Amino acid sequence: MTRLTIDPITRLEGHGKIEIFLDDAGEVERTYFQVPELRGFERFCVGRPVEEMPTLTNRICGVCPEAHHMAAAKAADAVYGVTPPRPALLLREALYSAFFVTDHATHFYALGGPDFFVGPDAPVAERNILGVLQRVGAEAGARVIGARKAGHHVIEMIGGRAIHPCTAVPGGMTKGITESQRAEIEAIARSMVDFSEFSIGVFDSLVMGDPAYRDAILGDAYRHETYYMGLVDANGKVNFYDGRVRIVAPDGERLGEYDPAEYRDWIAERVEPWTYLKFPYLKKVGWKGFVDGKDSGVYTAMPLARLNVADGMATPKAQAEYERFFATLAPTNGGPKQPVHGRLAAHWARLVEMLYAAERLVELATDPEITSDDVRAVPTATPTEGVGTVEAPRGTLTHHYWTDERGILTHVNLIVGTTNNYAPMCMSIERAARSLIHGGQVVGEGILNRIEMAFRAYDPCFGCATHSLPGHMPLEVTIRDAAGDVVDVISRDD
Amino acid sequence: MSSVATTEPARGADPGTDWGAPAPAGDGPTLVVGIGNPILGDDGIGWRVVQEVERRWVSGPAVGPPAGPAPPPVVFLCVSLGGLSLMERLVGASCAILVDAVTTRSRPVGSILVLPLAELVPGVSGHLDNAHDASLPVALAVGRSLGAELPTDIMVVGIEARRVDEFGEELSPPVAAALPGAVEAVLDLLRQTVPGSR
Repeated sequence: MTRLTIDPITRLEGHGKIEIFLDDAGEVERTYFQVPELRGFERFCVGRPVEEMPTLTNRICGVCPEAHHMAAAKAADAVYGVTPPRPALLLREALYSAFFVTDHATHFYALGGPDFFVGPDAPVAERNILGVLQRVGAEAGARVIGARKAGHHVIEMIGGRAIHPCTAVPGGMTKGITESQRAEIEAIARSMVDFSEFSIGVFDSLVMGDPAYRDAILGDAYRHETYYMGLVDANGKVNFYDGRVRIVAPDGERLGEYDPAEYRDWIAERVEPWTYLKFPYLKKVGWKGFVDGKDSGVYTAMPLARLNVADGMATPKAQAEYERFFATLAPTNGGPKQPVHGRLAAHWARLVEMLYAAERLVELATDPEITSDDVRAVPTATPTEGVGTVEAPRGTLTHHYWTDERGILTHVNLIVGTTNNYAPMCMSIERAARSLIHGGQVVGEGILNRIEMAFRAYDPCFGCATHSLPGHMPLEVTIRDAAGDVVDVISRDD
Repeated sequence: MSSVATTEPARGADPGTDWGAPAPAGDGPTLVVGIGNPILGDDGIGWRVVQEVERRWVSGPAVGPPAGPAPPPVVFLCVSLGGLSLMERLVGASCAILVDAVTTRSRPVGSILVLPLAELVPGVSGHLDNAHDASLPVALAVGRSLGAELPTDIMVVGIEARRVDEFGEELSPPVAAALPGAVEAVLDLLRQTVPGSR
């Protein structure tokens, strides 16, 4: 047996490792995607006041602190049984919408973009955002950086800080915004709508307009038929901040919809001996292994999943793009909607969501109540237990806290966005490896990158709190013979 | 010596293509940036070093009356950022000192590494990455290609860390023991960088 190791995975937060085992014929027998675990977060939290959690949990992750800030604030609301006033909810959702535009734009141009705009086989030194900007032009580059700046500015105005917001507290927000800030947010939101439409145009011309990439999105190498999960509003439309969790089967049938506080009735966790991270699956379907299909409890939660579960988008331009997305990728000739299973379609789904977030920010910024001073309902009930769920860019994020009567944490449970997708990511890696490696061929860097593309669509974020500076960050492939001896090592610097 | 004390919310300069009015060459502040996660064990060493340097720099160095024009200010930042976001924080600075935990695993825990960013790894390195967007060198190239005023003089002070995968506010003993030496290393760089200081 030959063993290939990709360690660590490039351009991913945290240092995952892929091992590919080949059989004697040189075909892929099995792949393993291992993730290092950050330990002790619950122990770190227990004994602290629950109101610290919105600012503490946003330190878990350097990439999506805003998502943890919101989930924690919602969980703390629930612990105290308090409903924030409407202006506070408008502000939270406005901050969160600006964050989604910023995060999705960065992913599209910096993480996903290199595979499409520079090419999966391009030298690694060029396969980055600089290569993307050279391809799409300086004007587009200026818009990307400008959108990031604008998004951070909105987050700072509402959240008090540009990266790690601190204004959401149990019962609402610590402060409101002024009329001049509102006007600035509205102007930024309108420019974000333009930028989102521009980005969809870029995707259309450079990705869907390229036969090879279009085939990759529509083909089988990156396709999985799993269940899908996402928050929907009262009208069944995609919502990032609030709603009920909807689960849809691979054939489009709705398995159910639940209040986020009931998550333990729906989600169970599978332990595998070869990795620390657990695999969440649908309790009502059951764990059948790393397999596709309606009998397998594996589910996916990310932009593609959210579009698959929802009845549409709540804003007009995003709704039109949603309809074009499904008409192109899962045409039904008038029949009931079918999920899109091609994982690379997540890149397009992300842009549909970005457009929605921008349009939603316009709606929120033009709501007459958003400048109200009524931004907090001071909690008065005895704290107990609460669940807060939002859609993070990488999937459904749930915080669950238990406290004593003083509001001191006694127990904490988190299901982070990426964890939902651990099982389908493993499956996507194996599918890509099986379709790309045959007859023990020499595994070149391009093939390794195409395998990485399989899970890059999920934008996974493991061990995401660590920013320690590695002395060396290679992509290294170790090939071992049946006796386990190293016969070759291929490595490169990223 | 003027000193601007800031923590995370401060922005060394506005990012974006409207990069803000750039300071004349060489007149921007010297940025001292602690990078890491303060609740993830040894990963918090960068913040701790910069907080101590800031304390010493404000109260410690005996800086005589300026003989000429006022030197540029020193700005202290503590952030949990890499890649594009870190680059955006460096806009407008005349030079930067980055302090971070390193995990080379080939050096003794607690050892201190001082070298220019460009020498950290030849070519396009993976250092100071944000794995979700770009390495710092690539991010700097992006910024420069879009007209940002970015420092060319970027020094890295790295402290070899051990425990960066377990939540906690404490440093491991060998990393904690490296704190004074790392502080001195940063102060030495600052004294070399800022004219008139000692």
